[in-house]
Amino acid sequence: MTEPRAHALSAKPPTLRIRDLSIEFARRRGPDLRVVDQVSIDIWPGEIVGVIGESGSGKTLTSLATLKMLPKQARIAEGTMHLGETSLHDRTERQMRELRGDQIALIPQDAMQALNPTMRIGRQVGEPLELHSGYGQAQAMDSAQKLLKSVHIREPETRVREYPHQFSGGMQQRAMIAMGLALNPQLIIADEPTTALDVTVQAQILKLLREIRDREGASILFITHDLGVVAEICDWVYVMRHGRIVEEGALRKIFMAPQAEYTRQLLEATPSIHTVPGTRS
Amino acid sequence: MIGLLNDFDWQRWRLVLIGGTIIGILVICALFAPWVAPYSPYDLDVVEMLQPPSAAHPLGTDELGRDLLSRTIYAARISMEVAFIAASVGLVFGTVIGIVAAYFGGFVDLVLMRFMELLFSFPAILLAVVLMASLGTSILNAMIAIGIVFIPGFARLSRAATEVVLREQYVESARAIGMSHRRIIFVEILPNILAPLLVEAAVAFSYAILLESALSFLGLGAQPPEASWGNMLNTGRGFMAQAPWLSIVPGAAIFLSVLGFNLIGDGLRDVLDPHMKE
Amino acid sequence: MSAEMIQLKNVGKVFGQRRIFGGSTEFAAVADVSLKVARGQTLGIVGESGSGKSTLLRMVLNLIHPTSGSIHIDGQNIAALTGRNEKAFRRKVQPIFQNPASSFNPRQSIGAILRAPLKVHGIGTPDSRRDRVSTLLERVGLPAEFADRHPHQLSGGQKQRVAIARAIILEPQIVLADEPTSALDVSVQAQVLELFRQTREEMGLTSIFVSHNLAVIRQVSDTVAVMRLGRIVETGTVDEIFANPKHEYTQALIAAVPDHGTIMAQT
Repeated sequence: MTEPRAHALSAKPPTLRIRDLSIEFARRRGPDLRVVDQVSIDIWPGEIVGVIGESGSGKTLTSLATLKMLPKQARIAEGTMHLGETSLHDRTERQMRELRGDQIALIPQDAMQALNPTMRIGRQVGEPLELHSGYGQAQAMDSAQKLLKSVHIREPETRVREYPHQFSGGMQQRAMIAMGLALNPQLIIADEPTTALDVTVQAQILKLLREIRDREGASILFITHDLGVVAEICDWVYVMRHGRIVEEGALRKIFMAPQAEYTRQLLEATPSIHTVPGTRS
Repeated sequence: MIGLLNDFDWQRWRLVLIGGTIIGILVICALFAPWVAPYSPYDLDVVEMLQPPSAAHPLGTDELGRDLLSRTIYAARISMEVAFIAASVGLVFGTVIGIVAAYFGGFVDLVLMRFMELLFSFPAILLAVVLMASLGTSILNAMIAIGIVFIPGFARLSRAATEVVLREQYVESARAIGMSHRRIIFVEILPNILAPLLVEAAVAFSYAILLESALSFLGLGAQPPEASWGNMLNTGRGFMAQAPWLSIVPGAAIFLSVLGFNLIGDGLRDVLDPHMKE
Repeated sequence: MSAEMIQLKNVGKVFGQRRIFGGSTEFAAVADVSLKVARGQTLGIVGESGSGKSTLLRMVLNLIHPTSGSIHIDGQNIAALTGRNEKAFRRKVQPIFQNPASSFNPRQSIGAILRAPLKVHGIGTPDSRRDRVSTLLERVGLPAEFADRHPHQLSGGQKQRVAIARAIILEPQIVLADEPTSALDVSVQAQVLELFRQTREEMGLTSIFVSHNLAVIRQVSDTVAVMRLGRIVETGTVDEIFANPKHEYTQALIAAVPDHGTIMAQT
């Protein structure tokens, strides 16, 4: 690392510190397969950190590991993870459940699949409050209305009573973000939250996430395969490939002076609407 | 060859193998009945009637002194034949109707599927009894009647499976290269909907055996002196107190064959499911 | 021989469902679309979900029929195609579809999949077809041995190479592509796009390329049509559309694209 990170100079500890995390998959035959290898990631308060990689790079597994929600065949082989001062390493499933939703929120790729089609939006958005803060149903519904308003859903008082299929794709993703915000988490993990959306809707959701960072001071771990999205939203970027981090750095450095060969290839392969490749006559 | 055996995934095929062994034994008994059975199933011996199991008659004798083991083995012939033909009738006609309905859609779909629903709305045994009453009682008619009972089930299943495949782009690609309807149905659709149909066929086999037994029990299937598990059970009912083995033996045979086919069906479901593959 | 290879006049498609007890629900997926593609040119159609761009492409492929307007390919109205004419049309116009996972019959080998178009059109002998498949696989950058593999043994990028091979095996004049790279990783996407461009130039193909991705459209197109809610809101050459978008929606669309080009341009 050449340039020091502005946040690293502050007195506060990082929101999330991952050190030398390795994840292995058990296989029916042969030795375990290492899919994430010695990954270290820091996220400072109020920072939006991008982890970019193509399919199979291990970016999603890394994010699931911080929630301890890895698939059954996968296990953490080594490494430590700290959320603020607390170690996530020895936490039991039950203790992790207290953290999830409360201090770490997950915004998934496909909101339609993540929402329960038979449950009113309001109940779902207010659910974290019922689970963690002991709210009653009416009280949770009330808060859900405020949360929907905070993610700019119009007429929240009628929208809370609607079902997911009555929401457009963008509004479903807003509802998922509202649910994530319910308990004022320190860390929001967004796993390709705009991949399923149209570009105009994507632009709105990215704007909303930036606004939430500014307003709530939350840290965001942003997982994506899209360099364009990284350019729009992230402060600091990790580039992953085949389970390893090949490069990290401030946004501008990654784009202007990429060190790793792979980052350069990725930049070259990503088409931009501002540049027309030389191969075209 | 040894490598092949090592690679064979016993765990995955376990249910199919157990079911297949049971059915295999029954089929061998049925095919080679004259050699496997110790006696003729029709030989009367009034002196030996209603004998409990013994060295001479391992499963005892019936009310006319016929060897029960031999009769059960010969009855397997009828049951297997009925099961095979009835399930085949259902599979072939049902699949064709289902694919045609889904593929052509619209009016064709409406007419075919409404007719299937009409058939489906009758209780199976009642439908079979009505068909038998109009076709006459014979074992061949029993097979046809049971086969017709199966058609709507297969038709619905193949229609649903076809609709899924029709949404795949390779069907659209096939149309775009100018492939004929017939070729699309046989080359692109049929191989891709076969797995659930085979599972259903295994279950239909076991159901056919039960239905045939029920029809014979009602006197509509195999006619005496011909032995079938159903009419053997019916006869045994009258001697429940004196000779319980008369009911237990054909009952056990029905149970075993139904179990065997169901195991094959369940096993196939797992084996053919592409998501279970590594 | 007219200069326009593909010509659409006021094409519309209304999907309707009649119910048994009267009444019907109707939905206009495409409305009043007129377009022209000159011989050897590529038209990019860009639009978001629900814009009707895929429906439009399927109408040009003659897989579904317009409820109004007409489509002419090489001067011939495709609604009037029958029997032998239809076969000739199929030979001339080939699709490349989006989803590599469902583009191929999973029970057939790659070789069988590629031979099928030749068989259907009665071209060559079994041996000559085999040779042609080998040559073609190599041409799209895959080893000839891939003919014996099955679709699930191929990666997404390899499958799209096979899809391109299938599209050109009949030596068509027109190739219609529906989001052929949207399911691929960027580095693979770049290679597949390059193959598409190269093939198009070598064979002098006329093509329509449908995508939601403006950057991809910019790379492959000569002219661009922007679609929204079933209608064309703007057409123009690729430079006109991207450098000087006229319609409000086109401007919004271009502004919404997250792009690293802006960062790179800031130096």
